[in-house]
Amino acid sequence: MQRDVGSLPLSPALRARLLAAGFQTAQELLETGPCGLSKEIGISREEALEALQVVRQECAGDAAKTAGGSGSTRKCTALELLEEEQTQGFIITFCSALDNILGGGVQLTKITEICGAPGVGKTQLCMQLAVDVQIPECFGGVAGEAVFIDTEGSFMVDRAADIATACVRHCQLIAEAHQEEDHLQALETFSLESILSHIYYFRCRDYIELLAQVYLLPDFLSEHSKVRLVVIDGIAFPFRHDFEDLSLRTRLLNGLAQQLIIIANDHKSAVVLTNQMTTRFGQNQSMLVPALGESWGHAATVRLIFHWDNTQRLATLYKSPSQKESTIPYNITVSIPLGMEIQRWEQSFGSTEIVRGRQT
Amino acid sequence: MATKKLRRAKLSQELCERLSRYQITTCQDFLCLSLLELMKVTGESYRNVQKLLRKVSLACAPKMQTAYEMKVRRSINPSAAFLPTSLHSLDKVLHGGIPCGSLTELTSPPGCGKTQFCITMSVLATLPVSMGGLDGAVIYIDTESAFSAERLIEIAGNRFPTYFDSDEKLFCMTRSIHLYRELTCDSVLKRIKSLEEEIISKKIKLIIIDSVASVVRKEFDTKLQGNLAERSNFLARGASLLKYVAEEFSIPVILTNQITTSLSNGLAIPADLVSPAHDLSLSEVTGASGSGKKESACVTAALGNTWSHSVNTRLILQYHDLLTRQIVIAKSPVAPFSTFFYTVEKSGLVLQVIHS
Repeated sequence: MQRDVGSLPLSPALRARLLAAGFQTAQELLETGPCGLSKEIGISREEALEALQVVRQECAGDAAKTAGGSGSTRKCTALELLEEEQTQGFIITFCSALDNILGGGVQLTKITEICGAPGVGKTQLCMQLAVDVQIPECFGGVAGEAVFIDTEGSFMVDRAADIATACVRHCQLIAEAHQEEDHLQALETFSLESILSHIYYFRCRDYIELLAQVYLLPDFLSEHSKVRLVVIDGIAFPFRHDFEDLSLRTRLLNGLAQQLIIIANDHKSAVVLTNQMTTRFGQNQSMLVPALGESWGHAATVRLIFHWDNTQRLATLYKSPSQKESTIPYNITVSIPLGMEIQRWEQSFGSTEIVRGRQT
Repeated sequence: MATKKLRRAKLSQELCERLSRYQITTCQDFLCLSLLELMKVTGESYRNVQKLLRKVSLACAPKMQTAYEMKVRRSINPSAAFLPTSLHSLDKVLHGGIPCGSLTELTSPPGCGKTQFCITMSVLATLPVSMGGLDGAVIYIDTESAFSAERLIEIAGNRFPTYFDSDEKLFCMTRSIHLYRELTCDSVLKRIKSLEEEIISKKIKLIIIDSVASVVRKEFDTKLQGNLAERSNFLARGASLLKYVAEEFSIPVILTNQITTSLSNGLAIPADLVSPAHDLSLSEVTGASGSGKKESACVTAALGNTWSHSVNTRLILQYHDLLTRQIVIAKSPVAPFSTFFYTVEKSGLVLQVIHS
């Protein structure tokens, strides 16, 4: 009520006039009423009414905040947070080692960043997650839908269809083994067609389209409330060229990060970003580091770096608030058409499914 | 999309005039400002500014499609998704051939057969759809002056003798291959920008740039300060233009690249961050291009890390022994690592089966 007039979200011209007329607090404005306000400042009655409505809304929001109710800032105890975290689902990746180091899988309401050299499997993991988020709850999934924002053009529908088919087959095998009613019921709606229909694909060609899409994302997510995963494949690509003004880039990236955090929290979805690696020249050696600079490193909550060790792919958990740093090997397998093998990421032993190396 | 004028974003006339006084005329200018700056510039309240932001974003944002719609569209026209290379084992692993709508890169040391491969692909693109071609014209941007029309006719005549049985057919094929000789980075970029119109007017179905590396490495000496950033800029801009054209018209784009050696004394790239896709010395190289032992120098594809991210598929050609070479699928969204052996003959590249 004692809020300063200068801090109200009115248009700058109106604010300037109010201050010039001598108004200092919101209380004064509310007491004057629309007719008095319009006469004193010289604006129409409708404009004055609109301004007062904004002021009233703001003050109501403030009062609610100080009384501890729900507003745009949340207040809760750590116990409530613990209970929430324990019931929260994870999006599993089907690679048990990877799920272990992540503490169960990709967490909802958090931003996970995947960095890696080209060709290491980032887009494959994103496609895998877009399918895995749709696994029904009785099979241990979160039964959500996925938004896939592609900036590099590396999303291949055929490969996504392969992954989806293998996932459905895997669930069918589980259902056959357990023979439970709800499993079979869930399988009726969990098919290749339904999985692909619930992956919402956006192709952004430059950073403006990406920014525009992220601005529109909250409305989209309100319409499609079952979305539990937002993937941005290639957050680095549109920002790495055509930017002479690096401070503008930092500002845009920070704004993007904040919006994504809000989206992740408000809609209880996981946000997964993929980043490129860039070469940094040190004193006597050059290293590959994640692109987009040091300040971008703060944006993601969890950071995974994929790299190579001779011919073995490794994943390192680089940054996480709850899990410790560790490295695991992984492979990308291809399903054999007769349906015996499951298309997923396996641990390194028993990797005879991989078609690799010499063709003899 | 970014340069779309605000008038076309359905903002009111007076608002557009007011914004143009602050030099904000395109959607790009509008979206790059923070909310407070927008309030100052438009003179609107916080809520109204958010509504305006959403309106402008709607004008710029891409259309949504579900993965299922994409699949249906693909299955209606399956042959339009790939250009088969006529090397059957390679095509099988690549799920059809060179993918349409994305960039494919061919890297190798000199003399392995990149230009031969490109010439073969040009012939294949002009073939009718029933024979596995795309029935269209080809744009061949040649920066090394390595294209030989005689070799083109030799490959066509020897590879498809039954189809090219008359001179008339051969000349018809050569008429649909448009060759451009570009010798500087600027002219290459200008040519890439003009591609959109040429594709529509000449019904182009394949774009080949042979080679990107030679023209870039000639002009940018990365030891000089500032050149590395400029080079990355040029490459990134070229890559995004080519990607736009490839996706828009759903045609394949083939680029060729060279090899560079990164010496391990001093500037060492730690082995665990360089993938086998880059480190060619990891596959045993004997004979023509090495003495059989692993050298301390690490051989990688040129043009740097950023470029490696921009291409979607990467094929590496290498020497195996004096006559045979090998193709390695180093990066592909649909295929695993695979190696195939081939030799270069009169009819172009021919796959061999090696029994070790």
